[in-house]
Amino acid sequence: MQKQQNFIKLIKENEGIIYKITLVYAFNEEDQKDLYQEIVYQLWKSFDSFRGGSKISTWMYRIALNTSITRLKKEKRKGERVSLDSYLLERIDQIDTLMEDRIKLLYSHIKQLNTVEKGVVLLYLEGKNYDEIAAITGFTPSNVGTRLNRIKQKLKSQIKK
Amino acid sequence: MELDELRNEWQEMSIELNKQKILTDKLIIGMTQEKYSNKLKSISIPETIGAVICMLSAIFVMIKFSTLDTWYLAVCGVFTVAYLILLPIKSIGSIRKMQQVNIGDKTIEDTLLDFTKTKKQFWLVQRVGFYLNFILIIAVLPVAGKIMSNKDLFLDTKMWYFYLPFMVIFLLVISKFGLKHYKKTTNSAEDLLKELDI
Repeated sequence: MQKQQNFIKLIKENEGIIYKITLVYAFNEEDQKDLYQEIVYQLWKSFDSFRGGSKISTWMYRIALNTSITRLKKEKRKGERVSLDSYLLERIDQIDTLMEDRIKLLYSHIKQLNTVEKGVVLLYLEGKNYDEIAAITGFTPSNVGTRLNRIKQKLKSQIKK
Repeated sequence: MELDELRNEWQEMSIELNKQKILTDKLIIGMTQEKYSNKLKSISIPETIGAVICMLSAIFVMIKFSTLDTWYLAVCGVFTVAYLILLPIKSIGSIRKMQQVNIGDKTIEDTLLDFTKTKKQFWLVQRVGFYLNFILIIAVLPVAGKIMSNKDLFLDTKMWYFYLPFMVIFLLVISKFGLKHYKKTTNSAEDLLKELDI
């Protein structure tokens, strides 16, 4: 029971992070709901194994990003699902109000990056430094820097088009 | 648009977004229960059903093996039994491996490497199985003919004229879709590895 309470608290504190990741990796709203649920489920499954060896946010980003990149694309999912409809609608309204036009444009361009680049740029925008991004992704800090430079160039040229 | 400038705006938006709690306890608890089917179950259920059918067929051939009374019928019988037992085991094993990719304590790089490796192994098994199907269609007919109606179809060849063209066309049509899917999946696994720059 205590475990469940702790988990609920953690998810509530970080629901925005999961939402932003699903927004970048999902193909449509239906897919976003599936991905959201899958991330929460994977976090719950790994919750016991989290021993505090790394920061809780590092652990969360890792699982959320790993879940997003390893699922099968456009796979039909069957069975019962939690209804996230009202949740998703409210979130869409909120993010619409909160997002400046420039951020909206940026989001749409991030969606066009490849799987790994999406994760790296998302972590960067979330305020993570090179070492933290390296800890989550497994790349070296200098490699993270190289990748980010490449992503910045890519985004610039995409926006110019 | 400079990414560094946008980082601050992004974080302001994130702070606001995190302040607004919408998820209820009930929704979170619901999401922790594995009620929805796992993404790989859509592959593993048909594979499991297929494996059970193959196993039962293999047992049937083994029980009736003594009726395969010439060396060539025995060779066909051995191939049929081996195919029906080994291929489903390999196939289900490769799906298990995909399902067991542990994403809990690994970096993105390690997860991607594991995932693409197991995905490629799965499709390799499917591909080998596809080519073995061509041998199976030749091996299984004389075995079935002998077991079901005590006919040696290597001596009575009429049946082959109808059966072989039909089965080859059938397999080629299936292969067109199967191998296309194989190629697409393998390419997407290769693309992921390219993204890692290794």
